[in-house]
Amino acid sequence: MRIPILRLERTLLVSIQVDLTDNDAMQFQSDLVERVAEIEALGVAIDITALDVVDSYMARVINDTASMVRLLGAEVVICGVQPFVALTLIEMGRDLMGADCAFNLGQGLEILNTRIATRGDTRFNEDEDA
Amino acid sequence: MTTLLQQLLREHRAELLADWLKSLHAPWEHPTPQDGTHHEPNQRLHALFEDILTALERPPSDRFELDALDPLAKHLRQLVADQARRGAGSSETIGLMLSLKRLISKRLIEQSPSDSSGDLLWLEQVFEQLTLLAFAAFLDIREHLITQQSLSLLELSTPVLRLWHRILLLPLVGVIDTGRARQITESLLEAIARHEARVTILDLTGVPVLDTSVAQHLMKTIDAARLLGTRVVMTGISPEGAQTLTKLGIRFADVISRATLRAGIAEALLMVGQRITSIEDGRP
Amino acid sequence: MPELLVSERIPVRIATDIVIARRAARELCERLGFGKADQTRLATAVSELARNVIQYAGEGVCLIEDRSDGVSRRIRVVVEDQGPGIADLGRALTDGFSTGGGLGAGLPGTRRLVDEFQIESAPGRTCVTIVMAKPF
Repeated sequence: MRIPILRLERTLLVSIQVDLTDNDAMQFQSDLVERVAEIEALGVAIDITALDVVDSYMARVINDTASMVRLLGAEVVICGVQPFVALTLIEMGRDLMGADCAFNLGQGLEILNTRIATRGDTRFNEDEDA
Repeated sequence: MTTLLQQLLREHRAELLADWLKSLHAPWEHPTPQDGTHHEPNQRLHALFEDILTALERPPSDRFELDALDPLAKHLRQLVADQARRGAGSSETIGLMLSLKRLISKRLIEQSPSDSSGDLLWLEQVFEQLTLLAFAAFLDIREHLITQQSLSLLELSTPVLRLWHRILLLPLVGVIDTGRARQITESLLEAIARHEARVTILDLTGVPVLDTSVAQHLMKTIDAARLLGTRVVMTGISPEGAQTLTKLGIRFADVISRATLRAGIAEALLMVGQRITSIEDGRP
Repeated sequence: MPELLVSERIPVRIATDIVIARRAARELCERLGFGKADQTRLATAVSELARNVIQYAGEGVCLIEDRSDGVSRRIRVVVEDQGPGIADLGRALTDGFSTGGGLGAGLPGTRRLVDEFQIESAPGRTCVTIVMAKPF
């Protein structure tokens, strides 16, 4: 199962709808990081609204993906963590999910845009274009 | 061998039941015809009567023990539950049983004043156990009712207020005990998710004591709230509360704290890019 | 006298079995009137245990049972496998989270999610029993 990666200018959107097996997760991570590098993405939003269970394995997959994206120089936000999924994750271990979060894709994009707008590289590009 | 008591119960069963029901001045003894529900308690009394007699007809022993799953225990608990729900005191159910005991022992003594002591002792034992059971059942039910009431109080004590666009105010009020803390955590998270607020103000001004377990739940709420996508501003923490939270290892990165609700609101507004100004300033 | 209580046996062999097992646990939880938070906790705990089975033992079995009695509603889940076992149980249950495989990751976390937690492990058999309980 391949997870589709949508592009919105220099932002990428992915939505995880089902539990990922080990292979799916590896595929997803490599697809995403390649795409981030390819378009020099500035932001990535990962939507997990559809997940009603996130165990430590899935949390690690999501969290690892987020750090990879950050290492490639893009902002990342995780969207749509369900309230009891959040509570369960915290009860299992406080550090399972370290990335920034937003209620939904809309708010996630808003956060990304704000963050991107205050970055040094984007300001520099603007100046150059002007 | 049939004891005197067993014989008596067999021969005078119907009279005993009639006498007993007559002796009770419970309201269901005067059933109103238009209200069919009154039949049920009467049936319960019949069932209880049969159960008690069955227990009494056992061969007497030194100890009378009643299994919790025995139909007698079940019927007794139901009766107590009915009465407790009507607001009757524990003395009513117990009086009901003691009057049956009185009726039986009276007949027993009348029949044979000299040979009845063994049967009387047995009678005493059985009713003693039943009284204890009824009392315990009564306390259980009372406790249950109290728990239910405090649950509804809990809902009242955790209101969720939409203070401003994208700002939620959750004032916690009253003494929070360990049992309720868990539930408050859950209802707060649901509220935060439902309103999708950017900033959530948790006001603790109304919480006099922040014990370790409550503080732990509070931190869980704050951590989980961050995963949902809200920033938490805490206000009105007492010095003791601050000590407790620090010992538990709260993280400053995840929470902003302000001394007063007023300061907290100002901070929250700033976070969503709003501010409160006087009307004069805003006029052209 | 004993009422017919629900008992479901789910083989755990491939990754999709994890989803089947935790869905069954959640459904029973919901049917018995547990709140949404408890449903998520139990489903996550089952997911965690079933995943351990696949990762460390290859295959196993997940037994989900309604064990309610007069006092409380109880769901018991037993996850069992014939794998190599956990060498150092004490360490596997300590927080600190071995992320890269090795010891059963997530056991201490799982323990915090449920009301009762029991584990037996020896080479050839590992059995984890968890219970979610709530008074009536």
